[in-house]
Amino acid sequence: MRIILAGFGTVGQALAQVLHQDADRIVQAYGFRPQLTTIVDSQGSCSDDTGLNIPLALKTKKEYGTVAKYPRQGHRNSDGTHLISNSEAEVVVETTPTNFKDAEPGLSNIKAALANGKHVVTANKGPLALAMPALLELANHRNRLLRFSGTVGGGTPFLDFAAKCMPGERIVRIRGILNGTTNYILTRMENASLTFEKALAEAQKKGYAERDPTNDVEGFDTAAKIVIIANWVLKKQYSLRNLDITGITKVTPQKLKEAKASRAKVKLVGRIEESSVSVAPEQVPTVDPTCVPDTLNALTFSTEHAGDITLIGPGAGGERTASAIVRDLVSIRQEYAA
Amino acid sequence: MKFGGTSLANAARMKNAARIIQRYSPKNKVVVVASAIGNTTDQLTEIAELAKKGDLRRARKLLSKIQLSHRKIARIVAGRGETRELVAKIEQLNSELERTVEGIGHLRELTSRSRDYLLSFGESLSAPILAATLSAIGLRAQALTGAEAGIATDDNFGEAKPLIEISYHQVQQRLDPFLNRKMIPVVTGFIAATVDGSTTTLGRGGSDYTATLLAAALEADEIWIWTDVDGLMTADPRIVKNAAVLPNISFGEALELSYFGAKMMHPRALQPAGQKKIPVRIKNSSRPSKNGTLVSANESHNGGKVVKAVSIIRDVGIVTVSGSGMMGAPGVAAKVFQTLGSNNVNVMMISQGSSEATISCVVANRDVDRAVRALQLALMGQGYVDKITEEKDACIIAVVGSGMKGTPGVAARIFTAVARRKVNIRMVAQGSSEYNVSFVVSLKDGPEAVRAIHEEFNLGR
Ligand SMILES: NC(=O)c1ccc[n+]([C@@H]2O[C@H](COP(=O)([O-])OP(=O)(O)OC[C@H]3O[C@@H](n4cnc5c(N)ncnc54)[C@H](OP(=O)(O)O)[C@@H]3O)[C@@H](O)[C@H]2O)c1
Repeated sequence: MRIILAGFGTVGQALAQVLHQDADRIVQAYGFRPQLTTIVDSQGSCSDDTGLNIPLALKTKKEYGTVAKYPRQGHRNSDGTHLISNSEAEVVVETTPTNFKDAEPGLSNIKAALANGKHVVTANKGPLALAMPALLELANHRNRLLRFSGTVGGGTPFLDFAAKCMPGERIVRIRGILNGTTNYILTRMENASLTFEKALAEAQKKGYAERDPTNDVEGFDTAAKIVIIANWVLKKQYSLRNLDITGITKVTPQKLKEAKASRAKVKLVGRIEESSVSVAPEQVPTVDPTCVPDTLNALTFSTEHAGDITLIGPGAGGERTASAIVRDLVSIRQEYAA
Repeated sequence: MKFGGTSLANAARMKNAARIIQRYSPKNKVVVVASAIGNTTDQLTEIAELAKKGDLRRARKLLSKIQLSHRKIARIVAGRGETRELVAKIEQLNSELERTVEGIGHLRELTSRSRDYLLSFGESLSAPILAATLSAIGLRAQALTGAEAGIATDDNFGEAKPLIEISYHQVQQRLDPFLNRKMIPVVTGFIAATVDGSTTTLGRGGSDYTATLLAAALEADEIWIWTDVDGLMTADPRIVKNAAVLPNISFGEALELSYFGAKMMHPRALQPAGQKKIPVRIKNSSRPSKNGTLVSANESHNGGKVVKAVSIIRDVGIVTVSGSGMMGAPGVAAKVFQTLGSNNVNVMMISQGSSEATISCVVANRDVDRAVRALQLALMGQGYVDKITEEKDACIIAVVGSGMKGTPGVAARIFTAVARRKVNIRMVAQGSSEYNVSFVVSLKDGPEAVRAIHEEFNLGR
């Protein structure tokens, strides 16, 4: 299996690392050898049809900041769609930065990949948040797979759990905490009586929040995950535009105190109901298993006959997301012998 | 707004269309869809056939006629500023068209792919001309192909199926920027492209389909179809003198009417509008102040009328399969439909005798012989079918109106009114929708039956 890796940051490098370390195990267990044949970052790319030397690519990235400096096969060309359209690789893994305005460059990369008959695994939520029904339709039309396990819950298989472990059961509601950054901030605000601003600053210092925290604290990241879950698990056709989104920037220590008085905590909850989807801070009773602390994620599926089922796990993270991507690569291999 | 071929047929009509757009554009965001000028598409179809036969002489002659008429219109409508650019664009398309025709002629082969490409020139030529006409009167317009506007289809050339979600997404992406800059996109109707860029045509539904797809993608408030009639009529005015324009009908009724032969949008084209509940207004470009017909999700009953329109499909025949052995023999009906289907015979109506000893199907006249032969081969000599009979030269009368559901006795009124005129009903459709009652009479009785019903339900002016 030949793979184009678009984006070589935290997730992209973690994936390269995992593919390199686990190569023998994957061959033994699943009978295929995933090879990175092209890597693209914001300044350039490197390609080798027989498979790039992964330690060398990682070393080059570390030393020079870009894979364009990869010996002999590095280029200044970082035009993802061009590289994808002119490659013979079977799979594109998309890990460029998330962007909820126009979803670029991820959206164009995924479209080019599917239009050229390549399978896609994306960790980037932007293209799905804005155009998931369109991309699934295109994949279906081209008879290719579009996989995105890494976009929700990092290594915790929220999506696969619902899709694979619950056939026949009717899911009536899904709600959960899907963003580790905001959950950490809310936990700190409560435990250490911090204001939102102070807790955010602390989260940034610890590396849990990005320098521009907008996508997390305004609820967009949670909303994107809710869109993906609703479309995939419940076969809806939503995009980010359909959601009511409220972030946590207006949550005050006062509100947390009020919640505490009624044995609850304020959490940023994403909700999928029969005919509405929303993201907003709400009180979650402390006895509710969905009420998890720190950077944990939790998702509760309310089913018609089996009751409420809650999945709890660590959320995003480079290595965890990489493991979800590998899971997707294996499933592509199993379905298509690619 | 979509303009049909007759509404763009010559320079004067083209300018008229531009004035209509001008009238509505300041207060609205308008997207325009252009059909091919006049009967260009038919001429291109003929050229394709001539070229395929290798008759390049006649193909070229017809081709130069098309080229000439487009040049002429372009020179008249374009303002001083645009003429050069427009003429250059048209000459470029003209020579591409020539190359395509020569190619087909030399290979004597017409694939559905190259046919779609050839047909696409009709709209590719008209859209820039209409855009230039708009520029000449001071509007900012941009001609786009259906593909440039974002419509993507599968590769079923000749009748390509739009990839709905990807098209909606791309149309928003491509057209919103024009609308936000107060520009009027003028999009070629009928033509689109596959995801890898091969030109396709939308087949049945054509430019109307383009208009409803764009409207659904942009969540438009209304779709206006400019054509050469005042709207949908209660009946064919050549049959019923006092036939009236229908002020409004529902999507359900419109579907029935289009199925039963009214001069109406194809069901395919209605679908995107119906799904998103976007009202469609059908208007006459020669008399733009008339209201036309509004097709909407609203099932109002014009002044309490349960029936809204009567239409007629001529040139049909009845094929009847009968045999006492059919009673209780499972699967005969299925076999009949399967046989007709695999022989490409479209069944328009069916009826089964209550004793289950007969099954009648209404098919197009031209399909009758083929249907009978196929059924004989498949069914005779197996013990349960004794007879397969045919009756050509009949017509279907369809009575449409959403008020019929829940109003008892409408069918009885229809059949009594028809019987009073001594018209013999040959067959009544079964399982027709709640919006229509349809039946078959002989061809010569058709007009009288239509008049009888039109009068009975007071549909006239
Ligand atoms: N980190 C996580 O835990 C996690 C979890 C789940 C999902 N995700 C998603 O996965 C994606 C990657 O996350 P990350 O943490 O790895 O981000 P990151 O560290 O910022 O890496 C982004 C990579 O994309 C490259 N890039 C930026 N613009 C590009 C362009 N125009 N063309 C080609 N490459 C371009 C960057 O190039 P340079 O290296 O040259 O800057 C960088 O290599 C994001 O969409 C994120 O939301 C992340």
